[in-house]
Amino acid sequence: MSAVTYLEAISQAIREEMRRDEAVFLLGEDVGTYGGAFKVSAGLLEEFGPERVIDTPMAEAAIIGSAVGAALMGMRPIAEMQFIDFITCGFDQIINMASKMYWRAGMPVPMVIRGPSGGGVKGGPFHSASPEVWFFHTPGIKVVVPATAYDAKGLLKAAIRDNNPVLYLEHKLLYRMPELREELPAEDYIVPLGKAITRREGEDMTILTYGAMVHQCLKAAQVLEQEDGLNVEVIDLRSLSPLDREAILESVKHTNKVLIVHEDTLTGGIGAELAAILAEDLFEYLDGPITRVAAPDAPFPYAPPLEEAYLPNADKILAATRKLAAY
Amino acid sequence: MPTPVKMPRLGESVAEGTVGSWLKKEGDWVERDESLAEIITDKINAELPSPVAGRLAKILVKVDETVPVGADIALIEENADVSASPPAEAAPGPDAAPVESPARANVAVMDSKRAGDGNGSSAAVQVSRAGEEERQRISPLARRLAREHSLDLNAIPGTGTGGRVRKEDILAYLAQQEEAPVAVGAQFIEAATPVPAAQPAYTAPAAVPVAPPYVAPAAPTIAGEDVEIVTPSRMRLAIAEHMVRSKRTSPHATTVMEVDMTNIAKWLEKNRDDFKRREGYSISYVPFVMKSVCEGIRKVPLMNSSWTEDNKIIIKKRINLGIAVATDMGLVVPTIYDADQLTIAGLAKQVNAVAQRARTNKLTVEDIQNSTFVVNNPGTFGTIISVPIINQPHAGILSMDAVVKRPVVTEDDAIAIRYMMYLCLSFDHRILDGAGAATFLQAVRTKLQNYGREIDVY
Repeated sequence: MSAVTYLEAISQAIREEMRRDEAVFLLGEDVGTYGGAFKVSAGLLEEFGPERVIDTPMAEAAIIGSAVGAALMGMRPIAEMQFIDFITCGFDQIINMASKMYWRAGMPVPMVIRGPSGGGVKGGPFHSASPEVWFFHTPGIKVVVPATAYDAKGLLKAAIRDNNPVLYLEHKLLYRMPELREELPAEDYIVPLGKAITRREGEDMTILTYGAMVHQCLKAAQVLEQEDGLNVEVIDLRSLSPLDREAILESVKHTNKVLIVHEDTLTGGIGAELAAILAEDLFEYLDGPITRVAAPDAPFPYAPPLEEAYLPNADKILAATRKLAAY
Repeated sequence: MPTPVKMPRLGESVAEGTVGSWLKKEGDWVERDESLAEIITDKINAELPSPVAGRLAKILVKVDETVPVGADIALIEENADVSASPPAEAAPGPDAAPVESPARANVAVMDSKRAGDGNGSSAAVQVSRAGEEERQRISPLARRLAREHSLDLNAIPGTGTGGRVRKEDILAYLAQQEEAPVAVGAQFIEAATPVPAAQPAYTAPAAVPVAPPYVAPAAPTIAGEDVEIVTPSRMRLAIAEHMVRSKRTSPHATTVMEVDMTNIAKWLEKNRDDFKRREGYSISYVPFVMKSVCEGIRKVPLMNSSWTEDNKIIIKKRINLGIAVATDMGLVVPTIYDADQLTIAGLAKQVNAVAQRARTNKLTVEDIQNSTFVVNNPGTFGTIISVPIINQPHAGILSMDAVVKRPVVTEDDAIAIRYMMYLCLSFDHRILDGAGAATFLQAVRTKLQNYGREIDVY
């Protein structure tokens, strides 16, 4: 068995789940004939036919609305957003329908909305979004963000099998990143929703992060060990909603300093909520200010030098960790 | 034009100071008297208040850099709207308990003593170790750990940004505390030897301090199977340096005289408790000896002098007695200003006050400078004869040893049990000879022995 990319891991998960459960189907723009904008669904139409791999019009509200209706009827739809930026067009269906249905009508809505998110690929303001925080804020929908091939597959399988709407944010920069290739278990596995993972153990500081930033943080952590003699713990949250509070609190209790890193903009971001949780629950365990590294509060830029300046990276993380370590 | 901020003089003749941390960044606005930096000397750490309001234009001395007193360490650009204020004059910190000495107001005299100092604003420094108000820079975790271990946060040096106390500081302090029994043992041995290291002569003379060889040994000392290596505290290093320097500077001669303290001892036995109840502070032999030392200095003014670099003798007109106080950190020698103008009760009060401040780490800069002669009381440890080391740049130092009952042949050839005490005087043989020293001691003895059964201490 050969090592697969992050993208292939997603592809495998969809294929295997569709084989396992007839209720699982895929709908979205260009997912069928074209095989998906990034070729995630290449070959699925041939294997499962047009009734289970459905090319839709360019109408996100219709895609998500159809998925909600199908889920209510007992199906397990996977709705693809060609770029996650356009999820805003289907916002009402998610907020007012999918996430509230169980509370309104007692009927579960087992569906997955997935799509490429994140920047670093010179995609400009409409193809680089990190929209997690809008849904993180919304009760009734789960939000997961895989950072590795293993998690990409395991989390997507878990999301498909979950009885709640799940927003599955894949990071397009990671799709074909060679260093993320890994051999996946031959047997069926899932990565449970709501469980973080410690990517690197350390006692001097905790970095809480997710998605593509996990790799930037690991890079910074390595430099810190070599140049500063600091052992930094890096926790990949994987699930933003529900959060693995236990893992977060346990680590910070141990290290007493915490840096939060996310690619999304700073204000009202995931980091803000994490900071609030830590301040409320662990105030007297903190040996330094809860610190955040995130994108500035501005729309995603197009010009490459601006994008470079806009996105958090290992250097920015290094500077923040050093300041926090010296605090 | 920017106003320079100068390295303050944190002790009578301390020649240099180290910037422990900058509390303001370049470009920051500072109010007048707002703390700019933490200054570290061997004895105290103090926050340096800004002499003027303005913008911190330039930091000239980096953290951990040591510069001579009076050197410019920063520049402050005053706002055009804000009139230039003169440097704050002798502003004591909120924690600086007033020194209840009648001399305290006499700032001009003290300033004039700093001949060639060129730094009149040196007193504009306050001791940072606030007692009532907790120190500000401390992490929440460090605060909790300090509470759990019942630690005094003000006693723990912070190594974080701006001198903040954080986890590693508390852990280091706790680790150091575990080693503390060793240190206590060492002090005990030192006190028990017939040659107690009298007190730290932390007030360096104008001479540029020589880098002490033991601070940076040529070859690293390595712990072996049978020995343990202890890194001395900053204070221990300071004491070591001053002791060596004092011995090198002054040719010490020591002379001893025996004093009959019977009347004072009996008076104390009878009145000590009443006095304490009435006055709220206790009385001991110490103020009697101090009072008598003032008498001795009046007779032999050379005992209150200094030998200068250019081979002159400065005779000081004010008698400011230093009194050695043992604290947890080490010995300190706070000053009792114009001791000759105080009654015995007044001296007792001052001794209590400064000892209290010394033990609670609240000594002000003024408290530890300007002494002219030191009285040391190793007798409380049971010693009967001492050979003290001079507190530079003094002419002498007097140790009062234990008052013990001894059979004594009296003037009428009877044998009586009397309360006897040895007074041990080390003096600088450059300044005076045995005859002068003996004259001084005789005057002290006569004064002490002349107290009758009824003593008016007021």
